[in-house]
Order: sequence, then C-alpha cells, then structure tokens
Amino acid sequence: MPVDKQQRARILIVEDEPIIALTLQDLLVEAGFEVAGVTGKLHKALVLIEGAGCDAAIVDANLGGVSTSPAALALAARGVPFIVLSGYSSEQLQGDFPSARFLRKPCRPDKLIHTLKAMVLKQISSPLDRPLLRTDLATPEAAKRLGQESR
Amino acid sequence: MHEGARTEPMLLAENAELRAQLEGAEETLRAIRNVEVDALIVESATGPRVYTLHGVDSASNRFRGEILAQVSDAVIAIDGHQRVTYANAAAERQYGLSPSWALGHLLSNVYETRWLRPGDESAAETALRERGEWRGENVHLRQDGRELHVESSMTVLRETVDQRAGVLAVIRDISDRKRAEDKVRVSEIRYRRLFEAAQDGVLLLDPDTCKITDANPFMTKLLSYPHEELVGKELYEIGLMKDEGASLEMFRKLKSEHHVRYEDLPLKSQGGRHQEVEVVANLYDENGRAVIQCNIRDITERKRVEEHNKLLMAEINHRSMNLLAVVQAVAHQTARTGDPATFVARLFDRIDGLAASQDLLIKNQWEGVDLADLVEAQLAHFEDLIGARVMLDGPPVRLTPAAAQGIGMALHELATNAGKYGALSNDDGRVHISWQFGTANEPVFLMSWLEEGGPTVALPMRKGFGQMVIGRMVEAAVDGTAEVDYRESGFSWRLSSPLAGTLQKGRLASSPGNDARG
Repeated sequence: MPVDKQQRARILIVEDEPIIALTLQDLLVEAGFEVAGVTGKLHKALVLIEGAGCDAAIVDANLGGVSTSPAALALAARGVPFIVLSGYSSEQLQGDFPSARFLRKPCRPDKLIHTLKAMVLKQISSPLDRPLLRTDLATPEAAKRLGQESR
Repeated sequence: MHEGARTEPMLLAENAELRAQLEGAEETLRAIRNVEVDALIVESATGPRVYTLHGVDSASNRFRGEILAQVSDAVIAIDGHQRVTYANAAAERQYGLSPSWALGHLLSNVYETRWLRPGDESAAETALRERGEWRGENVHLRQDGRELHVESSMTVLRETVDQRAGVLAVIRDISDRKRAEDKVRVSEIRYRRLFEAAQDGVLLLDPDTCKITDANPFMTKLLSYPHEELVGKELYEIGLMKDEGASLEMFRKLKSEHHVRYEDLPLKSQGGRHQEVEVVANLYDENGRAVIQCNIRDITERKRVEEHNKLLMAEINHRSMNLLAVVQAVAHQTARTGDPATFVARLFDRIDGLAASQDLLIKNQWEGVDLADLVEAQLAHFEDLIGARVMLDGPPVRLTPAAAQGIGMALHELATNAGKYGALSNDDGRVHISWQFGTANEPVFLMSWLEEGGPTVALPMRKGFGQMVIGRMVEAAVDGTAEVDYRESGFSWRLSSPLAGTLQKGRLASSPGNDARG
C-alpha cells in the first residue's frame, strides 16, 4: 500500500489497558498510520468519534465492565469501519456487536495491521459510498447493514 | 437322684419297668395303626391306663386314628408324666426319630421347646388348663440341634371329664414358610426404606387411569404437594408434563417401549418455583398387573452449576487472553531497548512481576488486592530488606484489580531501578513506601516511593519502558497523576488518584465482571 494513502488514514484507539493502548499506538505509527486519539473511557471515545472523527477505529469490547457497543454504533452510523479487539470470543460478543469485525486478543501485530489496511483501502477506494451512506445511516438497521459491508 | 446312689437291683427294676412301658406303648401304637383305637391304653407305674379323646365317640375316634397316621403334620400324644404315648410317622420324620423310638420317652427327649415371647409358656398352660386347648407358634429344637419353627395345636386328653391324662399335639413345621415370610418382610422393609429415603422423587402410576397411585416423601418435597394430594392426580396436573397431550404421549410410548426418559423437563411446583428435572419411567408387571414407576431427579442445582462453570470458563478464557495480550505488549515495549540478552532478562523479570500480581488477584478471587501484599509481592527480590531498609507505611487498603495491575507494574519497575541505580544498589540506602488518603476536589488516594542514601541520582539517559510504566501507564490505570523527581539526594515518585477508581468498594458491591477488562 502506498505510504501517502496510509498517512491519510487516522485511527482511533479505544482501549483501557494502558500498556496495550501504548503498544497499539506504536504499531500504528510504525505502519504509517496517524493516531486520531487514544482513550480508555467510553464517553471520551464518543466525544472523539463525534468531534474530530477518524477513518477507522480499534475498539476494545469492554472498558472496565462497560460495553463499548455505543461507540461501535456511533462509528457504524458514520460509516467508519472498525475492529473489535477483545479477549472475548466473537460468539460471546456478537449480541453486543452485531456484524462487527472481530479480532481476538492477543492478536498478531501483522494481522491487525493487515486487517486495518484492508478496511481503510476499501474506504478510500470507494469514496462515492461515503456521502451516500452518511445521509442514510440514521437507523440502527442501516448501521447494521454497514457493519456487514465492512467485514 | 445321684447315679451312684442307685443299686444294681434298683437299676434292674427300673429297666424292667421301662421295658414294660415300652411294650405297652408299642401295643398302643399298633392299635392306633390298625385303627382299633377306642381309647389309648398306657402302662404306667400305677398300672395300665386308658385314655379317651374327650367328647368323641368310638366311631369318629377310629376315623381320627386313621387320619392321624396319614396326615403330614406331626401328631404326638403324651401322658400326664410327659411321656410319649403316640407319635405318627410324620412326627418321627419331623424330629428325626427311628420308628417307635419316641414311645415311652419323655417329650423333652424328642424336642426342646423355645418360646418366642416371654409369657407365651404360661399363656399356653393357662389355655390348656382352662379351655383344654392351645394353638400357637414356637420353636422346637431337635436332638440333632436343628431348629424348627412350628405351629402347634394342643388338646388335653382326659380319662374322665375332670381328669387330665395327657395332651395330644398336632405340630406343623412352618420353618420354610417362616423363612420365606422373613425374606419377604426384610425385602419389603429394605425397599420401603429405599422408597422413603430416596433423594429422588418416585411416583407409581396406574397405566390405565394415568393417575398417581403412590409417591415417596421426596416427591412431596419436590413438588410441595402433600402425599394425599398427589395420589389420584395425573402428571400434567402436578406440572410435570406441560399438558394432557404430552402426558398421553408419554403413556403411549411407555406402553409400546416399556421405558421413557426425559433428560431435562421444566417442573412447575406449587408456588411457581421453577425446577429442572430428569425423568425416567418404566412399565413393570406386578403379579399380572401393569405398573409404571417414575423416577424424578431434581437437576436444578446441577444445571445451575453447569451454567456457572460455563460462564466461569468463558471468563477465565477471556482473562487469559487479556493477560497474554499484556505480555505481548510488555514484550513489544521491552524489545525497544537493549541487546537481545538484556531483552530476554528484562522480559522474564517483567513477566515475573505480572505473574506475581496475577497470583494475588486470583487468590483474592479478582475482588481486589491488599496494597501491602502487592508491595511485598513486587519487591520479592528485596524480601530481606523489607522492614529494615524498605519501610512500608499506610492504612490497610484494597486496590481494584485494574489499579493493582497498574500499580503492581509500577512497583516492579521502581524496585528494579532502585536495585540497579538507586537506594537499593548500595549497602545502606533506604526506600520509604507510604500511602494515605487525602482530599483535593474529591477524596484521593496518595502513594509515594521516596529513596534516600543511595548513590547520587542522575537523570536517565533516555525515556524507556520503565519510565512509561511509572508515568503514563500507571496514570491511565488509576486515572490519576504521577510525578517523578530525579533530585540528587534521592529519587522520588508520587501518585495521586481518585479514591473511586483506585480502591475496591465493599466486597458485596463488586462482582468479578465489573473489573474485567475487555
């Protein structure tokens, strides 16, 4: 993937384990991404998603007992692709995160970066989708559909 | 009388008398066998005696004599001196006697009587005296030691209406019947006890009416129905089958296959308590009558435990995955500095620290960790110095699992640094580790690590993993602020964080899931 396209991609990290958050940050920077923000709190994640926004996100499923499904919903509503990264299996999470892309902790860095690149590339290579989806995504059903598309 | 006191003539005389008696008895026996009996004639010390059966004429007496010889019950007649005057063939067989041996012998030479209950003997005597007859059971001990359980019918023989001359006994050996009865009774008691004490519900059903005919006490407990309300009801009426259709289906299957099993049925007991039961039913033949036996096992608790175990396993799996992710991150961060040999040494050291914290968390069932325990675990290398050069000072506090993990890693890095470059790298430096409560805008937890007496402190060359852990990482873990000061007199580290996220609330207020990190 050309470096210039990656550099444009801004990734949000929602993770409450500091050492993992830090490592994700390092990995993304090494892979040529820009980090749009790092937080371990749901309310801060929602502020970041609604404010500065991002091109993709890595979201921990559970922040100290708080489910991040509202953040996933907010991302889906904006057509932002995201990875749910968790120690829980996808079977355990599907209820809270329908049609999300799951990666299981511990995840190999190259797999994570590869998945993220594929998501961002799809997003950038089909720019026409974006305004269309955005006007269209007020309902959870639409969000769900988008989640499936971004798999 | 003592044997030695007898003289030879006396013995001879006794012998002669016994022989005479025997002859008389043999004569009696012959007469009886030849059905010539109108009366029993017995030789006695006072001369021959004639006995008649009371109240019968000679014709029926003759008939009776014939019967007596043929019957399978033992028949024995004795005289007033307890000597046998008659014994039929059955009696000889029953008591293992050679033919005619008993005649003239004392009855006690034929068998010994053992009464079943105290008072039986006197009751028998009274009955014979007052009514002239007695019927009852007792035990006869044969001469060879065999015990016979017998049923006797005794009638007084009279010379005249008033004079008692002997007794006629008809004795039936009921040992076999008794043994069988005992067996049945023991078996009945045993199975009744099983039925009564079983920790499974047992129902007996009539396959024709589909109604309950009996239920054991556990069934009553299981359903909260009294026994009398269970009997006569159909299965669907007690909440075992969801409706009449399901109940009929079970009976249909039972009649064709004689066996049904339901692994997991919901059971609605009175009061709406929900239970899960396993039901096994069998159709049996009971003396030509079909009976259904239904065993009902309460598996509610088993299901609950299974469910709990499943959740527990999933949670353990999740936490293992998270821990591995942390190890992965620590390895990644450790690899950023130093050569491969240093990397391995430092990584192993940090994994040790993670393991120590993990161990404490699990020992405390993920419900927080005592800070003093955590300090001691992370300073295990300096165990001998604790209390001497490493001073701990603070009230008992319990950290949340997240805080314990973050502060644990920070303590590990602080101790490593102190041992390499700081107050624990020489022979007399000291470390003060203290914690207390404070108030800023909100209640806060304050913790400090102060070193003194170590080598002169210099600023680290570059910001490595250790600096990150005692700074940003622990700040994020407790949502607080960490200050590091490399002043020459001694390194210091201070942490301030809101009480809420740092200390564990009361045990009851927290559940393991609340502190799980996803």
